Amino acid sequence: MTSPTNSDVLTYREAVHQTMRAALRDNPRTIIIGQGVDDHKGIFGSTAGLLKEFGGERVMDTPLAEEGVTGIALGAALNGLYPIQTHIRADFILLAMNQLINLAAKYKYMFGGRFQVPMLIRVVIGRSWGQGAQHSQSFQSLFAHVPGLVVIMPSSPQTILESYPYVIRQHPGPVIAFEHRLMYDLKFHMSELRVGHSPLTSFRIRAGKHVTIVATSIMVMEAVRAAEHLARHSDIDCEIIDLHCVSHPDQELILASLAKTGKLLVADTSWKAYGVCAEVCRLVAERAPGLLQAPVVTLGMQPAPCPTAKSLEDLFYPNLRDLTDALAALVKGRRDHGIRLPDEKSMADVYKKFKGPF
Amino acid sequence: MKTYARFPDLFEELFYQALRIRLFEERIIALYPSDKIQSPVHLSIGQEAAAVGACRQLEPADLLFCSYRSHAYYLAKGGPMPAMMAELYGKVTGCGQGKAGSMHLAAPEVGLMGCSAVVASTIPHAVGAALAAKLQKQSRIIVAVFGDGATDEGVYHESLNFAALHKLPVIFLCENNGWAAYSPVAARHAYQLRKQAQVYGIPASAVEEGFCPLKVYKAFGRVVDQVRKTSSPCFIEVKTSRYREHVGIGDDFSSGIRQRAELEAWQAKDPLIQRQDLVAKYTPDIAAEIDAAVRYAEESPWPGPEELLKDVI
Repeated sequence: MTSPTNSDVLTYREAVHQTMRAALRDNPRTIIIGQGVDDHKGIFGSTAGLLKEFGGERVMDTPLAEEGVTGIALGAALNGLYPIQTHIRADFILLAMNQLINLAAKYKYMFGGRFQVPMLIRVVIGRSWGQGAQHSQSFQSLFAHVPGLVVIMPSSPQTILESYPYVIRQHPGPVIAFEHRLMYDLKFHMSELRVGHSPLTSFRIRAGKHVTIVATSIMVMEAVRAAEHLARHSDIDCEIIDLHCVSHPDQELILASLAKTGKLLVADTSWKAYGVCAEVCRLVAERAPGLLQAPVVTLGMQPAPCPTAKSLEDLFYPNLRDLTDALAALVKGRRDHGIRLPDEKSMADVYKKFKGPF
Repeated sequence: MKTYARFPDLFEELFYQALRIRLFEERIIALYPSDKIQSPVHLSIGQEAAAVGACRQLEPADLLFCSYRSHAYYLAKGGPMPAMMAELYGKVTGCGQGKAGSMHLAAPEVGLMGCSAVVASTIPHAVGAALAAKLQKQSRIIVAVFGDGATDEGVYHESLNFAALHKLPVIFLCENNGWAAYSPVAARHAYQLRKQAQVYGIPASAVEEGFCPLKVYKAFGRVVDQVRKTSSPCFIEVKTSRYREHVGIGDDFSSGIRQRAELEAWQAKDPLIQRQDLVAKYTPDIAAEIDAAVRYAEESPWPGPEELLKDVI
């Protein structure tokens, strides 16, 4: 894969598609397996056309049998294949919890290191346009909780191009990647790929002085937008860390940033309790509570199932205005910070390109 | 199929292998009160013939995926006895370096690809390995071993469907001992095992005399031939009997869930009980092998702290 230059623009979908095609092309033992990978929609286009190019044995539609298919992928990995399994909605991965947690996560350790089960499981988080309670969940912390699993949350085409080829070629165990549906249609400017070290870590994507934002997935993009707004309308200078590998984050990167800024905001795509927000707080509380000059602020979904009505959904997710307001209040130390806020109330209104149903 | 030179015929060879498993597990029973083996054991006693008859038909390259009740398959497929005993002791020289215990035996060098304590969970692994065998044009066949209880699970049905749909070289070997822990099959199944497999177009056969390794050997051989020839799945049910409790070294009579007469009728046909001449003939050799395995386990070191976080990722 050639490194894109700064002028390259790529959608999230195109990045996933590039890596999927390259994986099939570069290794005849790679297969893509999942419900709908070979249909005309091809998992939101991420596997489109691959059936024609590589055939039905390598781009394999499956029965609606998530646990069985995950076990089949694991067994295929034990006998020499590299399976890439897909779930068109992250919610469906719950049907495969037994295979992922009781088997895949433990297949190396439980047998004293005698087996490896390299495999990539791609799941897509849904949001907006009435996705509702069962098409919107974001389960990174469930899996990151379990030793033996690696969980990543690509926040951009760049992180996809860096992570997927590395995972597919080099990582010896199961990796679960949480993609975000709302980013699929968005165009991103590409930077030079960060190569030479494992991408299964966290990245500082913006340097700043006043506050550290640790974010995941689409919240990284929101953090960038909030930081740019604050840079235009205030003297607040935000540092942003893309947590990316939520199971194995770069702790030192977070603590070093906090040592500089003294203030921490965590923005995750899921619920706050027992999740990424809680985990980042644990890290700081255990290792360096003295670095905090103010209480940590966390942003995530409201503690309810996701409602479908737009009026409620807009309240359910944190938006750019909430995020900007929280950052300004944290840095200024007061709610009435007086900084102009963006008037945007709904992310769905911003990403107009996402127009349902799925 | 040739027999090993040390045995006069195939029956005695199979008898020897079955006796070896039974004596090994009886040694576990003898050792268990000492707490030297601190691992839940699901004994194969009564079911040895299924493992011995089936594994004798397999090549080393053929792969086996099993459950928590797999001491018999580990030994029958050719896993080294000292590493197994060391594993039961939790020693670092065990086949899982002391991280596996009785329920997670493996011997990939002879094709035993893992045993799981979660019922039915390795059945799809066998199907996946068969998919990989097909796509890579390997000649090996794959065997999923499970009990009648595993067929209650949804993933079993998912696995049968997928294997039949894609014509995969996998044998579904069901050891039907009639019990899932303490629940009898009649309390669990609205279906009949073979008919259910046939619904997916999978040929299904049974061995009624699952106490006899030679009968299992012959029936399993027909299934192996069919799978090698057709590269499609087959189901075989081996009727068998669990002499001991679901887990541990006890029995099911003191609790009253099973009648002693039921077991005794089966045991009256069990060659490992009825052929005391052969038991006497082969016990000394086997006992010596087991003694050596116990010595190996007892003299082996425990895993050190450096092992705790090794092999997680």
